Amino acid sequence: MKRKELFILFFTLTLTLTLALYTFAAQGDKDAGKKIYEKKCWWCHGEKGEGNGPAAEFLMPPPRDFTLGVYKYKSSPPGQVARDEDIFRIISDGMPGTMLGTAMPAWKDVLSEKDRWDLVAYVKSMTDLFQTEKASGEINFGSQVSSSEESIKKGKEAFKKAKCFECHGENGKGDAIKKLKDDWGFRVWPRNLTKPWTFRAGSEPKDIFTRVSVGIPGTPMPSFADPKSENKLTDEERWHVVNYVKSIQDDTKRLKEGEIVVKAKYAEGNLPEDTNAPEWNNASATAYQMVPQIIAKDRFFKPTNDGITVRALFNDKEIAFLLEWDDRTKSIPGDADAEKLAEGEVLEDAVAIQLPVTIPEAMQKPYFGHGDKEMGVNQWYWSSGNATAAKVIDSTGLGSGKARDAAKTDVKGKGEYKAGVWRVILKRSLTTANAKDDLQFEAGKFIPIGFASWDGSNGEKGSKHTMTTWYWVLLEPKAGSKVYTYPAAAIIILVAGQLWFARGMRKDYEK
Amino acid sequence: MMKKLIQAVILILVFYLILKLGIPALGSFLHHGTWPVVPTNLMRIYVFFIVAGVLLYLTFNEESAKELGKPIKEVYGNPEKGGLRMIVIAVIALFGGYITYQNVKPSFEAPVELRSIHPAPPSSVEMWGKPYNLLKLTNPFREDKANFEKNAREGGIVFFKNCFYCHGDKLDGKGHYNSGFSPMPANFVDVGTIAQLQESFLFWRIGTGGPGLPKEGAPWRSAMPIWQHFLSEEEIWKVILFLYDYTGHSPRTFG
Repeated sequence: MKRKELFILFFTLTLTLTLALYTFAAQGDKDAGKKIYEKKCWWCHGEKGEGNGPAAEFLMPPPRDFTLGVYKYKSSPPGQVARDEDIFRIISDGMPGTMLGTAMPAWKDVLSEKDRWDLVAYVKSMTDLFQTEKASGEINFGSQVSSSEESIKKGKEAFKKAKCFECHGENGKGDAIKKLKDDWGFRVWPRNLTKPWTFRAGSEPKDIFTRVSVGIPGTPMPSFADPKSENKLTDEERWHVVNYVKSIQDDTKRLKEGEIVVKAKYAEGNLPEDTNAPEWNNASATAYQMVPQIIAKDRFFKPTNDGITVRALFNDKEIAFLLEWDDRTKSIPGDADAEKLAEGEVLEDAVAIQLPVTIPEAMQKPYFGHGDKEMGVNQWYWSSGNATAAKVIDSTGLGSGKARDAAKTDVKGKGEYKAGVWRVILKRSLTTANAKDDLQFEAGKFIPIGFASWDGSNGEKGSKHTMTTWYWVLLEPKAGSKVYTYPAAAIIILVAGQLWFARGMRKDYEK
Repeated sequence: MMKKLIQAVILILVFYLILKLGIPALGSFLHHGTWPVVPTNLMRIYVFFIVAGVLLYLTFNEESAKELGKPIKEVYGNPEKGGLRMIVIAVIALFGGYITYQNVKPSFEAPVELRSIHPAPPSSVEMWGKPYNLLKLTNPFREDKANFEKNAREGGIVFFKNCFYCHGDKLDGKGHYNSGFSPMPANFVDVGTIAQLQESFLFWRIGTGGPGLPKEGAPWRSAMPIWQHFLSEEEIWKVILFLYDYTGHSPRTFG
């Protein structure tokens, strides 16, 4: 008898313990989470989770403040707190790293699933909010509408009806004239919808549907599923909006792995003067990542521009580059619209190309930041304040740049801003009389090239700008006739040779 | 009848695949994340020797040489196989034309830039106007066991104010600016970086930055700032302490 009772006791205990442990794991252990937080997370999010760690001042957007319990990227219905799964997802997958992404990395490769749940429990404990409130679940996704021309058209109408363009702009470039702040008092910019790779919490249809439905708490992005909102869209309409947003992706602005050469195409006749001339479509467009200038004082950490798309054409006399980048603001000092939008003083938008003074014979190049004493660079500089001209700056090291006398250069510039996009042409003759100071272009040679840009409404001026490392420009040589004659000769020789061989073989065979 | 010829083709193919895929696979196994292909020029020489070797092997005696030649003789010599002969002649000629075209068409592949990742350090270096003997230099905070945690934490703050946007929150070289640079920022977690180096090497690399590299290290490309312009000697030693403490690696020691 006693034995049986003991057994039952033991069984019950084990069962309770297992159940308790299971619940524990699902909820996460906040004390264990604290230990991980103090090793990995506080550097950005702060010791108490206030989003003010030592790294915070270098980050835009700033690290999340956990003490308010407001989570921007959540999938619970509007008005409710975030689900544990939302917090877990961001810890696991991070937010897109490059191209203006946040610094939040994906932690799933270094932290176990349990570690991540423990962190969820710990960051939730930094506010009282989660003690009293709980999300009811995921929003209702309705039935997904697959993309079609008709759906995209309906999505575009819904985009208009719900007034999305008031912030995101007519073409989705995020360029509408509105100065926005979030609940923490930080300046925020509406998302450029044509660059889905910069969407913080994913660009799958379901992710976009969630953002449109839930909004982004703490920011001016509202919920479009909220019955109280006058801009409410039905489930179906929101799926159409998703398909519309997917359809306006601008692939010419997307970085492609291994793309490091600007291929200048040979053009018959004159090079286009108009920034929107159709001839530019003959040249292939390549995109390069811009990073803020961090190598020399004063350094810069909070850029708004993340990339530049380059096309180039050349003829027998000249070469012309078309530099294109998305910019939410047309910044020209004294411009009334620009002043409404800028943080502080309105400065000029600007862009520059950097080239070595001579084509390097071997591997050695000038230092990518303004050249060095051994090898100098030419910089072709264009700015919005003087949009129909360009300057040439000669530099042999950081801080040594000197603008050249306008009479001694024939670099021409012309820029135009249209619907959230800057397009700037920089043009020069292939060769100049001054081979000592000017790069002499040569078809078929790989020539180092770099780019820089300034967003005047973001306080960018002087050393505070974005830039690229060295890439290449290649003036594609005309192929010449040997491309056809050599293979033809090879075929003729091989046919004749084999026939001759066959003749010999036949004689041999008949024997 | 075709046995010998098929044998020759299979042998050549096997050796070719070993070179084309086997060697990179071996390299990938030894150095994870790499795929070291055999350069085209070297590949041509190898293929020449493979073909010559296989033919030598298969024509070792007269009988096997005859057997190898038999199907060739059939195709080119047999008067009843005129159709097949024409097809073979055309295929071989077109293949030759294609190879020639591949060789003469303009190629727009960017030059490959090689650089030494861990170039040999100089024996001494001047920073903040003072000479440092890199052969003897050690981290002054390494021996201070009592304040180790405090110093490493202070080094961490230096890291998260100056280094993390390139070298990453996880110290894995994947900071949010990382893809804009070439070469990519160093991954400190990897066993091939700081775990292989002395602390004095890190002190030199941090203090003099990209422009302080010798030519074989391609100083014109590295985006590593010259940190002696921004940080004190003490801050650099503390951040080095942090890098080893956080990743769990030990610095290589002298001797």
